Amino acid sequence: MADTILKIEHLNKTFEVDKEKIDILKDINLEIKAGEFITIVGHSGCGKSTLLKIIGGLVEYTDGTVERNGKKVTEPGTDCGMVFQEHRLLPWLKIKDNVAFGLDGVPQDEREKLVKEHINLVHLDGFENVYPAQLSGGMSQRAAIARGLVSNPSILLLDEPFGALDALTRIQMQREIQRIWKEKKTTMIMVTHDIDEAIYLGKRIVVMSARPGEIKTILNVDSAAKNRGSADFAYYKKKIYDHFFEDAEDAPEYII
Amino acid sequence: MEKIKKVLFPFLIPVIVLAAWIYATQLGKVPSSLLPGVSSVGEAFKRQIENGQLIQDLGVSLGRVVKGYAISIILGILLGALMGMSKSMWHLFHGVTTTIRQIPMMAWIPMIILWCGIKELSKVVIIVIAAFFPIMTNTLGGISSTPKEYIEVAKLYKLSRWKTFTKVYLPHAIPQIFVGLKLGLGTSWMAVVAAELIASVSGIGYRLSDARNMMRSDVMIVCMIVIGLVGALMDKIITLLFGVLTPWEKKGKAV
Repeated sequence: MADTILKIEHLNKTFEVDKEKIDILKDINLEIKAGEFITIVGHSGCGKSTLLKIIGGLVEYTDGTVERNGKKVTEPGTDCGMVFQEHRLLPWLKIKDNVAFGLDGVPQDEREKLVKEHINLVHLDGFENVYPAQLSGGMSQRAAIARGLVSNPSILLLDEPFGALDALTRIQMQREIQRIWKEKKTTMIMVTHDIDEAIYLGKRIVVMSARPGEIKTILNVDSAAKNRGSADFAYYKKKIYDHFFEDAEDAPEYII
Repeated sequence: MEKIKKVLFPFLIPVIVLAAWIYATQLGKVPSSLLPGVSSVGEAFKRQIENGQLIQDLGVSLGRVVKGYAISIILGILLGALMGMSKSMWHLFHGVTTTIRQIPMMAWIPMIILWCGIKELSKVVIIVIAAFFPIMTNTLGGISSTPKEYIEVAKLYKLSRWKTFTKVYLPHAIPQIFVGLKLGLGTSWMAVVAAELIASVSGIGYRLSDARNMMRSDVMIVCMIVIGLVGALMDKIITLLFGVLTPWEKKGKAV
């Protein structure tokens, strides 16, 4: 299909720990269309972050195919930005230089234009010349998002980007990333262990199980479920809970 | 109150020492051959300034320190950075440098004099040996402790190895490199005085050993105080330089 932006087929990833092979990811199949917002939920240690890093070209995979924009992934590229759980802004660079970090080799006037545009996109105008230590957690993540998007990649990978933020800031940032997604139309793939976040943001939710990391199911979320107070929201929440705790003896008694 | 502490406290101990010194030499029974009076040291200092000897001695010693120290900075940062960024470089040099580092600077002096004579070269070489190791080991420590998260970011944006060095490794290592630069400056100052004490006809260390031969304890004390003060001054310069080079270090959480 023409608008398929990411294609993963029979992806396996094994690590070797003490000469013993451990399956991290097992037979992952996933196809993502341009402009989608995909959330991936799973227990910690289920390999979801590794999956994201494989897509980004930061981690090698054992076998299978991963194609980004029709090209086999072998290394990172400007077509794919990434935001991590820790903001990972370099403490010694001003915000504008941190944002420009992904623009090595772009002519200066072009670079300045892109940086200004993206600082404006994440609403950090006026903070161009401060250092990361002077920003709050939410603002640092905004800067990190600007850095991830500055080269106008077709895919933005988000590895639990709001996991370290306080609850209120997290909700605010979820709205922000949704606004940015609608504005930029970038394909976004977000890993999270926050089920609410996964439902609120994801057009599709990939539910993963742990050891080995496998895709259990992929849920399509319809737009009616985006209201956190709605019955649809609760429906999806229960569905995901059931997937996680189906083997457990005592399923959670209350859902919302 | 904080301000008073900041301005007055640094002088408290020197004043006490000075008072004890005056007490011991004026009222006590310490003979002036062992510990000359404050006034005679002051006079010796004045004389040394007036006849230009002190300035000349200092100039000679400082010139040697600047040469040797500059070479150590280049070599130390270069090797420290190479070893910190490349595993093979680390394996190649780590054992050798760790072994050589154990040899005290004084133990080098006889062989250095044998190889390089007693002129300028030998002093510079001794300073290089003395200052190189603290600079190299601290650079290595700073470079190799760079968080892998930052390196991953550089990898994500496909920075070249050189750009990764200048934008990620080096700025991260700067605080620790400066620790090395301070230690290295101290040891190079020590090294030049030691080298001049043993074999030299000029420099502040030579003046000290000359004064010893003449039993001029007042001149000896002048030399020691000057050595200490000049070292402290250079240390301060490095601290100021560090502040200029790392503007991000002093910005707290202001917003």
